[in-house]
Amino acid sequence: MLEHYMQQGSSYASQIDGLVWMVLLMTGFWFFLVQGALFYLLWRYRARPGHKAVYLDDAAEHAFEVKWIEIPHRVILICDVAVIIGAITVWSDIKLSAPKHDEVIRVVAQQWAWTFTHAGPDGELDTADDIVAIDEMHLQVGKTYSYELGAKDVLHAFSVPVFRLKQDAIPGRVITGWFKPTLVGEFDVQCAEICGIGHGIMPARLYVETPEAHAAWLANPTHYLAYKF
Amino acid sequence: MVPARPSLVMMALLGSAASGCAAELPTEASARGEVLFKNCVQCHGDSGEGSTLMNAPAIAGLPQWYVEAQVTHFQTGWRGAHADDVEGLKMRPMSRTLKSAADVSLVSAHVSKLAVNRGEASLVGDVAKGQSAYATCSVCHGADGTGNEAMKAPPLRQLNDWYIVAQLRKFKTGVRAYEPADASGATMKAMAGAVPDEAAMRDLAAYIHTLPL
Ligand code: HEC
Ligand code: HEC
Ligand SMILES: [Cu+2]
Repeated sequence: MLEHYMQQGSSYASQIDGLVWMVLLMTGFWFFLVQGALFYLLWRYRARPGHKAVYLDDAAEHAFEVKWIEIPHRVILICDVAVIIGAITVWSDIKLSAPKHDEVIRVVAQQWAWTFTHAGPDGELDTADDIVAIDEMHLQVGKTYSYELGAKDVLHAFSVPVFRLKQDAIPGRVITGWFKPTLVGEFDVQCAEICGIGHGIMPARLYVETPEAHAAWLANPTHYLAYKF
Repeated sequence: MVPARPSLVMMALLGSAASGCAAELPTEASARGEVLFKNCVQCHGDSGEGSTLMNAPAIAGLPQWYVEAQVTHFQTGWRGAHADDVEGLKMRPMSRTLKSAADVSLVSAHVSKLAVNRGEASLVGDVAKGQSAYATCSVCHGADGTGNEAMKAPPLRQLNDWYIVAQLRKFKTGVRAYEPADASGATMKAMAGAVPDEAAMRDLAAYIHTLPL
């Protein structure tokens, strides 16, 4: 059920999900523990007929603080260190290092379209057989791609949820990164940085294809995403 | 089925929000066309007079058949889906705010009833040269620039002069009419190919701007 809504379509998707799960489970654990303690104590020492609500006197409060606040605080610091180590590991695996790529794909965002320049049959960008397609990106499953992301006018963001990739596109800069699709299928790309009135209707389609299907597309490419009405 | 309940609540919430919008869309044809047109005024102006800031042309008073045809081309990708068409790529998603052929017709009918407003002359061209060059164009667009529906040639006299130049340039470079199946586009592309340069485009636009409305 959950997998259906959270398909992992890139080599690093599971690493990012792992990090998110780690943070979620740790914060979830502490959340329920702390809220549980709070509500239990409120209930346990409440005022009832014949009973006043119980408060701590000053001396008892200090001992209480050590036990209920300082100790958990130290344990949470240990959790923080675990999260930081996890985050830095994932960051350095995905953002600071890149595996050798098989192909480069150029992604240009503008109001309100995505232009994908594919390397074409020869696998080299900036040659005569490059394939330019509006709002659709075709990749071969299992190949490692390096991307060059640019923007023509204002800020945009290249969001490919199934890859767990979200990268801002900034006019005047070319931002590079990489991905390796692992799941065949048709997926969403969406602009994730408000960029004007067309922002909400600035999607693109990602096709991750088997080598055969990709070869067929290369031989007979489409140049824009056709909408059916 | 854990998620069923929250999603039902969400749907109920979204549904009530959506029905709030839907209630605004009248079913009566002309009124609906007017409401649909509200999605266009941001760029084409409150009365379809166009906006140089948005590079969006005047569309007021264009015939219904032509607006329908162009909006449909934007929807399917025959126009505005070329990597170098900065303005067309902006118009393309807007065409998709119209969800049915019926709505395309209604908004087009509304546009066709708006008062023509081609704006002030914005460029310098040789009107006399433009006039003689226009002889070729008149075969399809009419000597008076009122167009010819049978030939799918739109009227030109109510267009902004800057837009005429921009379109001639796009036809000539294949940024518009790049789709082989687009027959009317291909016709015009061939004609634009015969316009030698930017100066000739400006002359034509300057002359067309002098045609009486
Ligand atoms: C975001 C701005 C924007 C919005 C909103 C917008 N348009 Fe456009 N429209 C443009 C631009 C820019 C062009 C010029 C395209 C070009 O230069 O090729 C254009 C061109 C057109 C044309 C072609 C005119 C011609 O003479 O060929 C038509 C028709 C049109 N728009 C209709 C509409 C309708 C109907 C709506 C509302 C549903 C709409 N537009 C909303 C920006 C917009
Ligand atoms: C053979 C017929 C024919 C001739 C001759 C012709 N055109 Fe066209 N023109 C068309 C057609 C058809 C279209 C509509 C294109 C489309 O459907 O996209 C068009 C479109 C245009 C447009 C775009 C209008 C708009 O609203 O976007 C301009 C500008 C234009 N023509 C100018 C000219 C000029 C200037 C000449 C003379 C040099 C000329 N045409 C000659 C058939 C012709
Ligand atoms: Cu955006």
